[in-house]
Amino acid sequence: MSTVLIVEDEPRIRRFVRLALEGEGCRTLECDRLAAGLERAAAEHPDLVILDLGLPDGDGLDFIRAYRSWSDRPLLVLSARSLEADKVAALDAGADDYLAKPFGVAELLARTRALLRRAERRGGEEESSVAFGDVVVDLARRSVIRAGEEVRLTPREYHLLTTLIAHRGRVLTQRQLLIEVWGQGHGEDGHYLRIYVGRLRHKLEADPARPRHLLTELGVGYRFKG
Amino acid sequence: MMKPTEHPFRSMLHPLHLRTLSGFLLAAAACGAATVVIHPMMDWMDPANINMLFLLVVFLVALRLGRGPALFAALLSVALFDFFFVPPHFSFAVADAQYLLTFVVMLAVALTTGQMAARLRSRVDESSRSESRTRDLYLLARELAGVIREEQVAAILDDFLRRNMDGHSVLYLPDDLEKLVPVGDSGMADDLAQRAYQREEVQERLGATGHGETVLYLPLCAPMRVRGVLAVALSEDRHESERGLVDAVASLAALTLERLHYVQVAQESELNMASERLRASILSSLSHDLRTPLTALVGLADTLARPEAGLPTPHRETAQALRDQAMDMSLMATNLLDLARLHTGEVKPRLDWQSLEEVVGAAVAWLGKQLDGHPLHIELAPDLPLLAFDPLLMERVLANLLGNAARHTSPRTPVFVRARLEAEGVEVEVSDRGGGYPEGVLRAEAFRRGASEPAQTGAGLGLAICREVVAAHGGRLRLDNPPEGGARARFTLARGNPPGVEEEA
Repeated sequence: MSTVLIVEDEPRIRRFVRLALEGEGCRTLECDRLAAGLERAAAEHPDLVILDLGLPDGDGLDFIRAYRSWSDRPLLVLSARSLEADKVAALDAGADDYLAKPFGVAELLARTRALLRRAERRGGEEESSVAFGDVVVDLARRSVIRAGEEVRLTPREYHLLTTLIAHRGRVLTQRQLLIEVWGQGHGEDGHYLRIYVGRLRHKLEADPARPRHLLTELGVGYRFKG
Repeated sequence: MMKPTEHPFRSMLHPLHLRTLSGFLLAAAACGAATVVIHPMMDWMDPANINMLFLLVVFLVALRLGRGPALFAALLSVALFDFFFVPPHFSFAVADAQYLLTFVVMLAVALTTGQMAARLRSRVDESSRSESRTRDLYLLARELAGVIREEQVAAILDDFLRRNMDGHSVLYLPDDLEKLVPVGDSGMADDLAQRAYQREEVQERLGATGHGETVLYLPLCAPMRVRGVLAVALSEDRHESERGLVDAVASLAALTLERLHYVQVAQESELNMASERLRASILSSLSHDLRTPLTALVGLADTLARPEAGLPTPHRETAQALRDQAMDMSLMATNLLDLARLHTGEVKPRLDWQSLEEVVGAAVAWLGKQLDGHPLHIELAPDLPLLAFDPLLMERVLANLLGNAARHTSPRTPVFVRARLEAEGVEVEVSDRGGGYPEGVLRAEAFRRGASEPAQTGAGLGLAICREVVAAHGGRLRLDNPPEGGARARFTLARGNPPGVEEEA
């Protein structure tokens, strides 16, 4: 049974998040302040922390940095839709994913499941191949097959694809992707991603304008959905 | 233009005439006094020396009293010398014809020295007068430099004119409609003031107040524009002689008013900044205060709507409807707040090189089930270049236009998103095959000018945001109902020079 710590000051939001998670068989802990939340996290070692970025007693980023100094367990942030910069800052500070308010139960559960599953999988066996849509990526042989035919990817395209796949279900910020694929000097070259993700979509997605696997989190980054 | 006319009937008691008259009287008195003093000594004084003493008197009169009295004193001296000191005494008759030469020389010397002394005197007077003017102007400039209100300018100018040239003044400043209004008074300016303001020319009115006063209307021309009109009333003789000073005063006033104008502009912009900050903080707390209960509402209704909650179907449907309504409300709140932010200029487009295809995809994904039942045709020209726009704002535009198309057309009505390269940029179009925009929307569109927006209803809110965002990107949202039917919204995004990428070998 997974333990989830909810740090949120609005009791009615806590209530429905708790109900949804308990329906999934999780044990939930609740806090309405950052300071208390950190103490609770240190004491109880939850498998997942759900953190509201808009708490009255401080900056959520400080919580994330403090938490990351001793734990690498999943952390999901809740933030208003229009505050993209806050989300990016939280993700770059070490949060694993975010949910924009308002959100439904299904989205919440999809995110939590993905994060908890990833935590379980960590340290487990490496996947040798990943399939999505009509595409199979053979990680061992570094080949990509679509509908039985090999698709030619450049090294960077392949690197970008496998980076996204390695964090499946989870958002990666533009900065994280750029640094991973192009290196430290390219952290601000967002247009590289637009061009490369566009090319990957045209090679791998059935309808590049309505992607089902290589998803855009506008203003934040990209997410791979298997 | 009116010309100054002569006034032949002047009162002899005018101050200037009194002063001249007293000069002549003094000159006469001086000559008389000299005669009285010399007369007892004439027996043992040589006439040539007596003559010298008279010349000295003329010289002094010239030095003190000026040209007119000096001339008078010269003539009087010759007469007195002849009458009292040239034999036969107490008669203008001259015994020795030699004395006629003496008279001529004496007169010539008296006149010449008198002239020279008087000229010297008038130079000294002039320079001391101009020095005192300079000092007065300097003091006026210093006084005006510390002024912070227009009323103070008017008072200082009036005071200066009263002290220095027995005049008085009224300051006229333009109101918002470019009509001149006297400062500190509710009356209207007269026509001449208005004319001086409009033509930027000095206007004159003679004898305006009925006792020989001339009123000058001086436009106050500052470097940037005419700031007002200064009306100066002066006695007629002064208005010629003091004209230079009056002009200098007017230009000082103009500079002061211009400075006050910019002080005011600076203060206003500071005030604006403060109120903008306040508005931004109200908007952000409003956004938080609206979103928090809506998030709870969406989540709680969604919890009830899930099959796990075990509600009977009708109740579950109610819960679903509740959730959808709360979601709609949240979207409306987001739209309203975004519109307010765009209006206040708090949200500035964060331009970056973006892919239109990606943003279309994001908008479609965001709308999700709202588009269900509408065949969506996305027709983007291949090889569209990256375009400079704010991806989040552009997603709002596309999502609002697509959402409108889905909401306002019957199910199975096709919806189109198109983009094609044109000479000036990329034209983006969102259209449908429904009933088209209502007349009212298009008519409102035709009458729309600039930034003034009529009140928006819920349905128009989305369009209002689209319009603002497109405008913020330098374009214009064009709505019409094309001949093939349906509603069509179009805008053009300018092409730039997107940066390249390092191509791989």
